[in-house]
Amino acid sequence: MKLKKLTALLLAGLMALSLAACGDDNTDANTPATSGSNDTNVSTTPADDNTTTPADDTASDLSGKLVIWTLAADLEQFADRFKEMNPGVKTEVVVIAPADYPTKVEAALLGGAKEPDIIVGEPQMLESMYDAGFFEDLNQAPYNAQDYAGQIVDYVWEVGQDADGIQRAISYQITPAGFFYRRDIAKTVFGTDDPAEIGKLFADYDTILETGRTLKEKGYRIFASDAEISYFSGDSAWVIDEKLNLDQSRIDYMDMSVALYQEDLTAYAAQWAAPWYQAMKGPVPILTAETQWGTDDMPIWNGEDAFAEATEGMETTEVFAFGLPAWGVLTLRDNCGDTSGLWGACAGPAYGFGGGTFIGISSQSERKDLAWEFVKFCTLNEETADWWIEKSQGDTVSLVSALEKHANDGNETYGGQQLYAFWLEQAEGIDYSKVTMYDKAIGDAWGSAISAVKTGEKTKEQAISDFYDEVAATYPNLTIER
Amino acid sequence: MDGTNQTTQKPKKMRNVNNTAYWMILPFVVVFLVFSVYPVLRTLQLSFTDYRGYGELNFTGITNYLRVFKDKYFWQALLHTINIWVPNIVLQLSLAFLLTIVFSDMKYKIKGLPFFRAVYYLPNIIAATSIAFLFKTLLDWRFGTINQILQKVGVTNPIDWMGTPTITPYVISVISAWMWFGNSFIMLMAGVQGIPTDYYEAAAIDGAGRWKRFFKITLPLLKPILLYVSITSFIGGLQMFDLPFLMCNGVKGDPYGSTQTMVMYMYKFGFDTRPKQVGYASAIAYVLFLLILIVSLIQFKVMNKKED
Repeated sequence: MKLKKLTALLLAGLMALSLAACGDDNTDANTPATSGSNDTNVSTTPADDNTTTPADDTASDLSGKLVIWTLAADLEQFADRFKEMNPGVKTEVVVIAPADYPTKVEAALLGGAKEPDIIVGEPQMLESMYDAGFFEDLNQAPYNAQDYAGQIVDYVWEVGQDADGIQRAISYQITPAGFFYRRDIAKTVFGTDDPAEIGKLFADYDTILETGRTLKEKGYRIFASDAEISYFSGDSAWVIDEKLNLDQSRIDYMDMSVALYQEDLTAYAAQWAAPWYQAMKGPVPILTAETQWGTDDMPIWNGEDAFAEATEGMETTEVFAFGLPAWGVLTLRDNCGDTSGLWGACAGPAYGFGGGTFIGISSQSERKDLAWEFVKFCTLNEETADWWIEKSQGDTVSLVSALEKHANDGNETYGGQQLYAFWLEQAEGIDYSKVTMYDKAIGDAWGSAISAVKTGEKTKEQAISDFYDEVAATYPNLTIER
Repeated sequence: MDGTNQTTQKPKKMRNVNNTAYWMILPFVVVFLVFSVYPVLRTLQLSFTDYRGYGELNFTGITNYLRVFKDKYFWQALLHTINIWVPNIVLQLSLAFLLTIVFSDMKYKIKGLPFFRAVYYLPNIIAATSIAFLFKTLLDWRFGTINQILQKVGVTNPIDWMGTPTITPYVISVISAWMWFGNSFIMLMAGVQGIPTDYYEAAAIDGAGRWKRFFKITLPLLKPILLYVSITSFIGGLQMFDLPFLMCNGVKGDPYGSTQTMVMYMYKFGFDTRPKQVGYASAIAYVLFLLILIVSLIQFKVMNKKED
């Protein structure tokens, strides 16, 4: 009898433990969120628990409650600020992981939900969200968004428009891509750290390869991962007039990726994994094409220590550059450690951009007036832009007047470089008409083709032929000329 | 007299009882209609349209079905699924059988069956997400425990468990078998315990050995349970999704799509591809359903025939 009780207790303990284990891995901050329920975080802060409201004297008479569903936690801070400025307003901000965001919004809005009032989207999600009619038409009265057209950087304004040119969403940030490079390495190897000169080393794919080879000879690596150039891949649209467009620049990009890999020109860190971040701080072990795998999953637990232990005694190198959109300013700042101040930013071989949170009003909202005030507050208000630049310490806003105002601000992490002027220049080169709703699936298929070629799994011809097959199977509506 | 009284009263009483029963099953029927019948019919309807998850339903006839049959990636996904399922079921049933033989042996009389039953069942109650993370960590190319142990015992080249198309599908098979063998074991054990001990005693008296008893008594009498276990496992196997999805880079089924199962392929069109192709995903779901139905019927027939 006693044994039975003991067994039962033991089993109950085991089960509880196994359940606790389930809980644990969901709270790991480093784990990319992919599953549903745990990614939702509701923070409701009623207006009356506000501390000091610096702008009390300018407080408006806005009142009511706003429900905001976002995939960027930034909007929590914007909402708090909005409440500070408008004490009569209450907000409820729900942060949902990007992978789940479109599905959750769809489920709510197709079900006829009146909330959320504010919905957002990243560029690759927007087209289908516009098609579904989730976003309110902002060109109609009382919004008349077209009146604000010149105030926001052009490409961001265009991303916010549906196929008929109707404004549906606006973003508070711009996300043009560039290369962040180590000024000290640049001086040692190339004799200069001038962004314009260093930009020439990244002018086209062949030049990037040459730069990579030069750096390797001197004991450095050009990139930590070969994903650094992905923001600059191809200079044309994947689909033009319902026809797949695999042009020479895509093939060149494939050739370059394969060469970078096969000539051991990168440090073979996987982007967003521990060694990749470590490369921002200084020396990293030289992983090779043979030893690179397995580092992807490092963030599962205690990444850096495990990595350091496993790579002890290996030869090290320093990484020259990272290719990231403007928000990379913050990523690098937070991870560069002692190399702070030694970085610079320069242009890449093409104008690219990545991400950005676009804010709009749900077409089913019953509080559209207040929602519009919030959209304007986040995107078109210079005071908010100033506040956000200060608060985020370097995020790049989309309001042209704010960018111009801060054009001469130097960023200490980047050797005092005037980054706002640089990003504005990069953003002006972006041609948004090249972005299509097919990009993610086609880009993924092309990525698979490249990785099959570089690892020798397939020949180039075979990989390209399989790529065509895959696109044809995924989008039978597209014309494909092989 | 009593008899006549009863006959006149009985129908009235029965009617009352029947009405109550209808009310009792109403909650189930409502839930069944809303959550089972409606989705099944709605999916059928959607499979004949080009529905994208929103907007109008445009009837497109059997276009989606023709596309499924011509789609080589769908058939590849079927092959991948079978490639993962077959080693899994062989391993799972072998393990379950082995344990059943050990635990049902009259000679050994192993104690603590309930304890072992629970322990073997434990992997089944752990969430698939946890299992995926656990094994991804154990099987990590460079830092995983398994490769570190292999290197300690002299294997010089660590095995890229999750990145080799010829290995990864079978890794999934083994993990699935580990998750499910406890379940099969419980069913087989329940079947064994349902066999009257008289048979074994009689066989023993007649001089039948352990193996003979197993093959002549246990196995034939376990056939219905075996049929049930293999059919449910096959249905479950064809619907395989969570482990490969979580361990092999989502719908891509890395490396090189070698672990992309049919349900992952369906998921790709229903949820991942932009714009969504819900109509096509529904057609894939129905083809999958038909495949499962056909195979189940064949399995049922074959097993019944043997029994006859």
